[in-house]
Amino acid sequence: MSAPGEEAPVSSELVRSYVITGGRRLPSADDLSLHMLVTLAPDRELPLGASPEVRAIWELCAGGYLAVAEVAAHLGLPVGVARLLLTDLADQGHLLRRSAPPPAKSESRLVIEKVLHGLQSLYA
Amino acid sequence: MTSLMKDPLLWILLGVLIAAVLAVMLARRTNLALRKQNADLQASQGRLEAERQRLANESATLRSEHDRDLAQVRSDAEEETKAALRTWMRSLQVLADEQQGVISDLARVKYGNDSEILADFMTIDHTNSQFGRRAQGIAALCGGWLGRRDRAAPVLDVARSAQGRIKLFDRVRIHSQVNVAVASTAVEPVAVVLAELLDNATNYSAPGTPVEINIQAVPTGVCLIVDDAGLGINAEEKDRASALLNTQGPVSITSLGSPPRVGFAVAGVLAARYGFKVSVDSVSPYGGVRAVILLPESLLTHDLPAPEAENSPTTASEGSPSSPVTAPVAIVGTTAGGLPRRRRAVAVVPPAPSPAAEPDPVPVPEHSEVTATATRLTAFARGTVRGRDTTTTEGSENQ
Repeated sequence: MSAPGEEAPVSSELVRSYVITGGRRLPSADDLSLHMLVTLAPDRELPLGASPEVRAIWELCAGGYLAVAEVAAHLGLPVGVARLLLTDLADQGHLLRRSAPPPAKSESRLVIEKVLHGLQSLYA
Repeated sequence: MTSLMKDPLLWILLGVLIAAVLAVMLARRTNLALRKQNADLQASQGRLEAERQRLANESATLRSEHDRDLAQVRSDAEEETKAALRTWMRSLQVLADEQQGVISDLARVKYGNDSEILADFMTIDHTNSQFGRRAQGIAALCGGWLGRRDRAAPVLDVARSAQGRIKLFDRVRIHSQVNVAVASTAVEPVAVVLAELLDNATNYSAPGTPVEINIQAVPTGVCLIVDDAGLGINAEEKDRASALLNTQGPVSITSLGSPPRVGFAVAGVLAARYGFKVSVDSVSPYGGVRAVILLPESLLTHDLPAPEAENSPTTASEGSPSSPVTAPVAIVGTTAGGLPRRRRAVAVVPPAPSPAAEPDPVPVPEHSEVTATATRLTAFARGTVRGRDTTTTEGSENQ
């Protein structure tokens, strides 16, 4: 805290998350899970009057598939807020979604060790 | 002679004469005494008149001194009250800011993936923002600081910040045609003033009607125009508002009524202090009030600040035991916003195969060595994710 008479710094985020969502209901986590991969659909025009966050998503996702969690982290937003914006874009047909790679069946320890050893011999 | 002497009439005449002489003498003496007394009295009257004049002057002097002292005491008391309020508000402002930081961090890092908790956090954040704005308003009226921002901010973000500081924020629509930033020193003042205008606009217009902010470039700077669809304000209100908005000195905090109506006073004080203009004297196209903030070029900057460096790695939220896939991603330049533009190597990552078709050893395509390395890492990453993920509901294309 700075001395009296001196102006204290303000560090909180300028634009609050409820303004970004416009006070709308957030979609549930099931709709777009953290690992879901999203990318921009081909030949799409940025909607007119898109918010800075939507523009940022647009640029991020133009490069290829990114996970929902990654998009949120890049924007510095809570995942729920990013999810709402992504859901909007997906509903408008701007986004392609793809599930994350499937979870493993129980792989044998032997295979994992083999992979590990292979990697070690490659990079050691 | 003797007979004459014996004439009683003579004695009577003599007696009368003597009596007359005595009477005249007595009257003369009395007259003299009275004249003297009269002169004395006149002198005394003059003296008293002068005394009265002196006392009257003295009384006037004393009264004016008293009035001056009273004004001095009042202004001292006001100044002391303001100083005390400044200190208190300062601590409240710092706390409100800290709380916003805590809310943001928790919402981003810990509870971001839970939409219900996140919605509750937003409600708390919203209330806290309004609380912070009130503290800032009182601080401004008391000649205190609003808080210093480190960076300039796009005017659109300043407007959205103001939007977030009022109760009925969801009625506000922002249209911006400019790509200009507000200088760091003016970010908070402009946001607070705009929030006060928005607060008035939303409170004094029909529920459900939108309040519009139009941001436009003008030759001398940038205009933020707030239009509401209320009933407008009458001439008396307009005069009061314009007096408060054009004030050049400090505002008496006791003259703002009860409950105090601080909006225009805050706007006036801040506009005078930071050198921008606020007016509410026109009518909005919707019939309500049109409030205009004119920011001069001196408070604007055309160099948009570089965004904060990305220091938070991929958010690991609660409820997600596994971190997201960190497959090899090539950074191909940066986005306009300064974020690294990452491109997944489409040729490298094979499309998500179904669990059954998952090839055990990923075939290494004979690409360049970098591609080969990336492919191996991809396979490894996918393997680790699969290995760590205990849920079985995730992952299939048609979940």
